[in-house]
Parts: sequence; structure tokens; C-alpha cells
Amino acid sequence: MSAIEVRGLYKQFDPPKGAVAVDHVSFEIEEGEIFSLLGPNGAGKTTTISILSCLLRPTSGDASVGGSSVLSDADNVKKQIGVVPQDIALYGDLSARENLFFWGRMYGMSGAELTNRVDQVIELIGLTDRQNDRVDKYSGGMKRRVNIGAALLHKPRILYLDEPTVGIDPQSRRSILDGIKDFNAAGMTILYTTHYMEEAQELSDRIAIMDHGKLIAVGSQPELVRIVGEQTRIDLSVDRQATALAEEWRQIPGVSAVSELEDRNLRLLTDDANSLMPRLFESARAMEARITEIALAEPNLEAVFLHLTGRALRD
Amino acid sequence: MRSLSIAWKDFRHVYRNIPALAMMLAAPLVLSLALGAAFGSGSSFSIKPVDTAIVNLDQGAATGGSGAAIGGQNAGATIEQILASPDVKDLVVLKKFATEGEARAAVDNGDASVAVIIPAGLTEAVSSPSGKSASITIYRDPSLTISPGIVSSIVQSAILSLNGARAAAAGAVAIVTQSGNHDPGVLTDAATKTAQAFGQGFQGQPPISIDSRAPSISASERAAPNVASQVLLGMMVFFMFFGASQPARSIIDEQRNATLARLFTTPTSRRLILGGKYVAVFMVVLIQSIILLVVGRLVFGAHWGFFGPVAVLTICGALVAASLALLMISLAKTPAQAGAFSSAVFVFLGLVGGNFVGSVNFTGPFAIVRRITPNGWLLEGWSKALYGGSWGSIGLPVLVVLASSAVFFAVATVAFGRRFA
Ligand SMILES: Nc1ncnc2c1ncn2[C@@H]1O[C@H](COP(=O)(O)OP(=O)(O)OP(=O)(O)O)[C@@H](O)[C@H]1O
Ligand SMILES: [Mg+2]
Repeated sequence: MSAIEVRGLYKQFDPPKGAVAVDHVSFEIEEGEIFSLLGPNGAGKTTTISILSCLLRPTSGDASVGGSSVLSDADNVKKQIGVVPQDIALYGDLSARENLFFWGRMYGMSGAELTNRVDQVIELIGLTDRQNDRVDKYSGGMKRRVNIGAALLHKPRILYLDEPTVGIDPQSRRSILDGIKDFNAAGMTILYTTHYMEEAQELSDRIAIMDHGKLIAVGSQPELVRIVGEQTRIDLSVDRQATALAEEWRQIPGVSAVSELEDRNLRLLTDDANSLMPRLFESARAMEARITEIALAEPNLEAVFLHLTGRALRD
Repeated sequence: MRSLSIAWKDFRHVYRNIPALAMMLAAPLVLSLALGAAFGSGSSFSIKPVDTAIVNLDQGAATGGSGAAIGGQNAGATIEQILASPDVKDLVVLKKFATEGEARAAVDNGDASVAVIIPAGLTEAVSSPSGKSASITIYRDPSLTISPGIVSSIVQSAILSLNGARAAAAGAVAIVTQSGNHDPGVLTDAATKTAQAFGQGFQGQPPISIDSRAPSISASERAAPNVASQVLLGMMVFFMFFGASQPARSIIDEQRNATLARLFTTPTSRRLILGGKYVAVFMVVLIQSIILLVVGRLVFGAHWGFFGPVAVLTICGALVAASLALLMISLAKTPAQAGAFSSAVFVFLGLVGGNFVGSVNFTGPFAIVRRITPNGWLLEGWSKALYGGSWGSIGLPVLVVLASSAVFFAVATVAFGRRFA
């Protein structure tokens, strides 16, 4: 059975003239999967999560979460999910511990069960030392961790995380991503949204790329990349003449794209890296430039997004 | 249980917000102090003095009366003097008339707000230890409440001292007579000195009473409660509503802080969430009112009425204030809207309900108009309690107030359920 099944979800705010935030979206998430919604700002990720959390009603379409419909059986849906909202949703004048107690009660927990669970979660999010400080005195990363912790108290089968790493330091981000992998290893189904391609790539079993309310592609990472075709990405750095080299390399047959990045870094897409590379070194020598670094890579999701929408994922 | 968790959280939030607390507790007290000063002493506020018609039909002491005139004076003249004294010159402008008919006519045609009619036998009644009684009539313009109130409280305090003096004098004369001394000079001297020494404090049936007459004024409204309770009560009821809007705004705050959305994703129903908010707002308003009631009693000497009715009215007030505040917040779409909208509504209700007039007792068309507001009903019930009314007299206002809070809460639940839809 799928953990989540979304069928023809459509949401228009303030119809008939309002924005269409989710436009006939359908997908399925298997039990135990990490599934990411990847898309730029305004793609409709939060709106989708809100509908799946029974916070917003879809204009049309339906979704079932853990076998219950978000339209007709919201109570059962809410009991099975933990929701980590995009915005930090905590009471700043309460301590982390008080917040966790409060949210635990909202999930119907109480007594020793709640106390034990709060202790566990505080340990899990690594805030044992600061648990009694007011949340509004915390750093962004600490708030993010409490924000996640509040969704874990009732041990949900399904966890939604809406851009949980926005605006925090690399260390906190690392621990959050590792934590998510741990939850998943323990059997939790995860729906994750992000506009960071690297996160989606690192975490997900499958990824849905969203843009302007539409799902433009769904699949595992290799499946998605295949959309771009059998191409290889070459990233290289030169010590001079970057612009002239880019210009020259664009003329070479078999090179489908060359983009010049900052600091004399260049990126090429080609379907035959083996025969291309000697020619790159030759033309560099002819221009008295030196290639200082070179790396081959599979094309990434960024390339997929570029391919499908004609725009960069982050702009 | 979940509602109580929400209530407790909100409750603590309010009590950590010092400016809001100050607004809820200090503002009504400061405003009452200002209004109380205006109505109480007339020194710091310019209040129009009351045009008072006076007729003194008292001829003074009948010759040979055992007590003579106390302090060698005529009781009618004493009252007249008190009303004309410099102490009350900001409050009372005295106009003398020769006959009762003329004085009443002055009130009837608007030349005076109140007429004080001192009967012919007043000094005699005061001087006679054995039982003649007399009655001073206060004839007042029924559309006014404060001005006749001022005049009648002055007259009343004069009467109180006369009654006390009279009782004391009678007692002294009786003691001296029993000791065998019948010298009229000694008796008069004893009576006068005792009467002067005796303060007010006379308990029992006062032989000289004040008789307030006006068209369509019921018996319960004849006794006048002190000004402080009336001023403070209007303020308190107004600030109950105002005070309720402060904690009710937690809905807007929670919406802005995304915690409301998060609450809606938990298995806790919206009804329970709103219920929790309601309990918190109710508690905050209740505590605010109790503080104001106690401070009013201790600092301003306000008399609120009998404990039972006052307790019921306070609870009803907190219930209706909480539900109205939640209703208004639930209807508003943005914080700015909620603030502006609810302030406007509260001030409108305060004006129509009669919270700002320094008196809670009305007659005439205004008494009907104020009944469109819940605070008007509350004040109506409370005015009965102030005048010593008991359960029966507050029954209807209490029922109306409870019914309206139920309606407000029901509509608020519906509006709240539509959020995020
Ligand atoms: N309450 C609302 N009322 C009207 N329009 C809305 C509302 N919420 C979102 N939208 C619109 O719906 C579209 C999708 O918004 P949504 O928040 O779902 O995007 P997102 O993918 O989560 O973006 P981000 O990465 O910035 O969080 C946007 O155009 C947004 O302006
Ligand atoms: Mg979003």
C-alpha cells in the first residue's frame, strides 16, 4: 500500500481570479520512502504539503494519507502525520521543553509517556543543555531543530518536512539531514520539500520536480537525469583566457552546452567525453592557457530542470 | 484537557506582556480617577454646577420646645447654608423661591435641575425628641441623573447629621431630666452640647427623611449609590471588553507566527482550540475585573452591591466580553483589521451602552437604546445591584448577557472554522 496517494490535486486561492498554486498534481509515495518535492520559490510545495496536512482544502482532487482521505477523514490523517512547517512555528516565550510538552499534548499525549518522549526528543535534537531557555533566545539552527522535534513527539508514521534547512549553518544542516536518514531507517515515510538540488539528491529515493504548480517530472535521480539524455558533464578550471576558450569550445561538434561560471570555471555538456577531452587540452595549449582542474560528472537535477523549463532552478 | 493546555499557555503569555497588562489594569483606574475627580469634588475638572431651586418653609423653633434649635439655629436654614457654602459652590448654584409651587415650576420649565423643598416643621421635628417627623422633598428633572444625585447627597449628609444630633440631644435631655434637674437652661445646654459632640452614625429609623420625587422614578432608584461605584463601574465594564480583546488577539499572533497553522495540523479540533482561547480570555478578564473591583472598593470606596449578584454579574461580564472579543478576532482577516475593527466596535458599544457617562442609572429612551448592547444590559443589571438589588432584579439582564455570549461564541466558532479554508 502507498503511504500517500495524491490524485488530481488542484488548488486555486480565492477563486475565480486567485493564483493556481497546485495544478492537477498526482503522485504516490511508497511506505518507507524518502520522497522530495523539488522546486523554486512559488512552485506550490508548501500548498501541496498544507493540503496533505488537512490545513487547506483542495479546490478539487483528493489525497489519501495512510489510507485515509484528507477530505473525508482528516482526523485519521492528522494522527498519522508529523508536520514540520516551513516557518518556525513555536512559542517564543516558552522554553524548548515547554514547547515540546505543549505540542505533545496537542497530539493527545500526557503523563509519563509525554515526559519520557520529551526527554528523548530533546536528546535527539541535541538541546539538552539549553532545553529550559526561551526559544526566542535561540539561534536559527536551534529553532529549526526544535521545530522538527515538535513533529516527532507522537512518533508519526509519516513525516512532512517543508524546507527544514532554510537559513542555517552547514553544521546544523548536516545534522538535520543525517537525522532524517535515521528516521527513515527506522521506518518513517518522509515527504521532504526543498529548492536545494543537493539535498534532494542526497536524501531522496524519488524526487518530484515542481514548477508553477505543476509536477514536471517524477522519478528516482537516475530516471530523471535520463530525461536529459546520455550526456556527461565536464567541469574544469583554467588559469586564463576563460572567455575565449568557452567561445572556441562551443564550436566543437558534440558539445551541447558551454557555460562560463565565475573564477574562470567552465561547464560543458557532451555526449562523448572520451574523444572531447584531448581536444580541450590541445586548444588550451594553443592559447597558452593551462587547465588546472578537470572533473567528469553525471548531469544533475539542475540540468534536468534547465532542460524541462528552460530556466535555472535558482534564479 | 487540550483546551486547558492552550488556555494555560495563552494565560501565561498575557501575564508576560507588561504593556498589555498595564493597559488592562491601569487605564480603567486612571480614567476612573479622572472622572471621579470630575464628579466627586469639582476641583480639577470643570463640571457645570447644578441649578438648584430651594424653598425654605421652615419657621425655626417653636417657642418653648424642650430642645430649642440646635446650636441656636434653624434646621432649614442650616441645610440652606450648607447648599450655599463655599465648599460646594462649584457644584451647586442656589436659587431661592418663596413657594413650593414656584420651585417645582422652575424644575418643570428647565430653569433648575432640581428643587429642594424644606417643609414647615423641620426644626420642630429636629428639636422634638419624641417623634414628630418631617420630610424634605427633592424634586428633580427625570432626564438628569448626576446633578440631582449631587444635590441629594449633599442634602442627605446634612440630614444625617441633623438626625444624629437629634437623637443625641434627646438622649442627653432624658438623662438630665432623670437626674432631677428641670432647669430649661441646663437642659438646652446639655442637648446642644451633646448634639454637637455627636457625630453622624445614627442608626435606626430616621425621623427626618429625604423624599425624592420625580415622574417615573421607581423605588429602587431612590437611594443613590456613591459616585465612585457608578463611574468605576462604567469604566470597568468598558475595559472588560477592551481587556478581552488583548488576549483574544493571540489568535492573530498565532496565525502570524505560524503556530495556528501548526495547531490545525494536530488532531486537536478547531472547536477545542477556540475553546481553549475562550477559557484564557475569560480568565484574564475575570482576574482583571476582580482586581478592579477590589481596588475600587479599597481605594475609591466604591460600593458594588451584594456579593452574590456582584459575583454573578462579574462572571457574566467576563463571559460575554470573552466571546465578543473572540468573535471580532475570528471575523477579522488581518491583525490591523482586528485591531481597528474591535476598537471601533468596543467604543461604539461603550457609548451606546452608557459606559462613559459617570452614572449607570438611566431612565427615558436611553434606557431602551442601551439594551441593544450586551454591556448596556450588564450595566442595567449592575445598576440594580448597586442600588441594593438582589437576585430577582438582575435576572433578566443576566439571562440576556448569557444568551448573547452563547450566540457570539457560536458565530465565532463558525468564523474560526473558515480560517485557512
Ligand atoms: N494564502 C495564499 N493566498 C493566496 N495565494 C497564495 C497563498 N499561499 C500561497 N499562495 C500562492 O501560491 C503559489 C504557491 O505558493 P507556495 O507557498 O505553495 O510555494 P512554495 O513552493 O512553497 O514556495 P517557497 O519555496 O517560496 O516556499 C504562490 O504563487 C503563492 O503566491
Ligand atoms: Mg514553501
